[in-house]
Amino acid sequence: MDNTVKRLLERLVRRIPSRMLKTTLDKWSRLTATQRQSIDYTESKWALTEKLLAICEENELTVKHIAELEMIHVIENPNLGMWHAFQLMDPQDDAHSVELTQFKEQFKSHLSELIRHVSIKIKKHTDEAVWIRIAWGDTFSRPNHLKPTYVVHYLQTPYVFLSSLTSKQKPLLSQALVLSTRYQAIKDANLSGRKLTAIRDLLMKQYLQVFPTKFPSPLAERNRVVSNLHIEKEQAGSAANRHQMACEAFGDGLLPQLQSAVYKLETKFRDHTNKTMTERDEPFRCVVKFASTNLLESLRHSASSGVASTPVTPLLSSVPLKGKNYFVITDNGPGPSSQMKPSQK
Amino acid sequence: MATMATTTHFGLFNGIFRRCPYNGDPNTIQHSAISVVRTPIGSIVAQRRSKNKSYRQSYRSCLGAASKLGHTPGWTARRLNTSRRTKSHNITEKVNPEDLALLVKTEWQLSYVTPLYQFRHTQLRSYSRQLSAFITAEKQQGLAVEVEGAQTSFRVSFSVVQGLGETDDDAETVLVQIHSKPVFAGKDEAQKLVWSGWLTCINGNPEYLHSLPKDFTCLPLFGSRGAENLTSLVKSWFQQTFDCCFGPLEINQTCLQWLAALWTNCHIESSIQHLKMIWTLPVEPPLQITYTVNPQDAWELWNSVRTPSLESREEEETARSIDIEEVTRFMQGLMSHFYRHFRLDLSAGRLSQVSSALGSAKFSGRVKMSNSRYVLTTLSLLTECALLKMPI
Repeated sequence: MDNTVKRLLERLVRRIPSRMLKTTLDKWSRLTATQRQSIDYTESKWALTEKLLAICEENELTVKHIAELEMIHVIENPNLGMWHAFQLMDPQDDAHSVELTQFKEQFKSHLSELIRHVSIKIKKHTDEAVWIRIAWGDTFSRPNHLKPTYVVHYLQTPYVFLSSLTSKQKPLLSQALVLSTRYQAIKDANLSGRKLTAIRDLLMKQYLQVFPTKFPSPLAERNRVVSNLHIEKEQAGSAANRHQMACEAFGDGLLPQLQSAVYKLETKFRDHTNKTMTERDEPFRCVVKFASTNLLESLRHSASSGVASTPVTPLLSSVPLKGKNYFVITDNGPGPSSQMKPSQK
Repeated sequence: MATMATTTHFGLFNGIFRRCPYNGDPNTIQHSAISVVRTPIGSIVAQRRSKNKSYRQSYRSCLGAASKLGHTPGWTARRLNTSRRTKSHNITEKVNPEDLALLVKTEWQLSYVTPLYQFRHTQLRSYSRQLSAFITAEKQQGLAVEVEGAQTSFRVSFSVVQGLGETDDDAETVLVQIHSKPVFAGKDEAQKLVWSGWLTCINGNPEYLHSLPKDFTCLPLFGSRGAENLTSLVKSWFQQTFDCCFGPLEINQTCLQWLAALWTNCHIESSIQHLKMIWTLPVEPPLQITYTVNPQDAWELWNSVRTPSLESREEEETARSIDIEEVTRFMQGLMSHFYRHFRLDLSAGRLSQVSSALGSAKFSGRVKMSNSRYVLTTLSLLTECALLKMPI
């Protein structure tokens, strides 16, 4: 049996947790009913691998079929690996009417033109997302299925999410995407994270947003910890105010789980107590990284608890507002501007 | 653990307080006697607290009238020296480079140690044998029948790292290494280094060192690397043999800020490559902020907060004094630049790690020295931390 098939299958069985193996294999539907029943899911992974290898050999399954299985697993578990968001720019007239079959044909043909040996699999998921799995080869070698790139594109939106793409492959993929979606360019959206669902929700604003109201009513505190009635009463006004502003900046309810935000600061040092540094012409270069299991929650809590002064600075509120988590801040204009310099990946 | 020591050997220390005053001043003898009289033998908690009290009073009296009360806002304040000299050490002249290589570029877990009773630098071989036997015995505990051959034998070696001490009062640094065969090793496989540790005292407060009775050796800083069970065995042996106490050494905020400033100060001589500080903010979920500053910019900021030097040119070149105010101004500069952008006050959180190309230090007590030139500066600071944290 082909070595690649073996390795791919072994790796896949290792990655898929035992409890999900049955459902994934059922979805795959490449095994007959008797074969499926013959698998004992309580065995060790090693034993399962051997069993599956035997079955695949029986059915004469190729690497393309195993790739299918991998794709099913990744679609079910989009929150593994590192995802980077990209945005398509300058739509042409028919960009909004591109539908699935057209996109599929165009993408496959464009990419195959650009690179000789490439294996593409496209699948449409229930939530309007188009998933593409690409195994790259080159003029001399066959596609490498052990290092595939995954692309997720939401039709009728300009957003594309990529995982595991090298810098050599990037221009080819960009070209194919741009041509098949009928846009003119693609750029880095400066948003990356482990959870695809989180960065998708952030970018497409699919979370509870709070808009400034003219007559803010004090929002009911979620966890009422009544410590001292007098303090509560005194602080009620400002606490509610902070909470309102924190929610306006970051959203309400459950927020998309972003893990980090990086700011590259290249602004001048300004401190009236320190004359020497203020008179410097060169910027004070530093990099600040915020990290947390749920970054937006942490930032919202720091605003509502007073650790961060309200109103929330545009640097922090840009994360949900612009849907980015990588910023380069320079001294252009009155406020920090994050789009003046293109960021490097 | 400290309380255990006090109850079992209270008599011994009692004797010390009466016999050996902390300095020849009759007032201080009176002081110590009073503090002893005040300690009730009854409740352990009260005992411990007054032990602290008597220690702090004696340490304070060692520092003399110039103790800067302005910097001690309460019991929990750690009071490090408010100014220190920085010298570039050509340490390879004093210390064997091989020994030095064992200390640098590794991460050590730090603890403080109370003075060792009757520790002799001349008896290191005997200690090696004793510790080796102790470890083997402890490992064999629970085995009813002697198992042939399959024992992992431990070879312990105590050695002295000569020349590391700054002053004549500093006891020589002791290095302990444990070699053993890996569990499933072949017959001819050599023993590998599985654990190492050291006890040191660099620039220890001379008055405090002089005040200790003759039989006590002060090596307050202990660093270890290796399996946790071996570390606890080594500690137990030391505790049993030299009647001392170990305790975890947390590197507090002030100390971390000192390290940030000291390392930045060295940028001209050896590039620090970056100054990285990690803060943890107490929000839900906890937010970690990593603030990495370009080394040249950090150095210029540091230079701009230095008070103009009053010393002569020659003095300035060799050893310039750094004051805590300069360190505070440096940190405040960094934090205010951060605040100007993010409107987030870093002092609401806790500085948990400082690192640069010269080393790294974490609040949890893990430290790494990457450049042998600054080993002494770092160890002096940490020795001070250890001395301050000791309950006695």
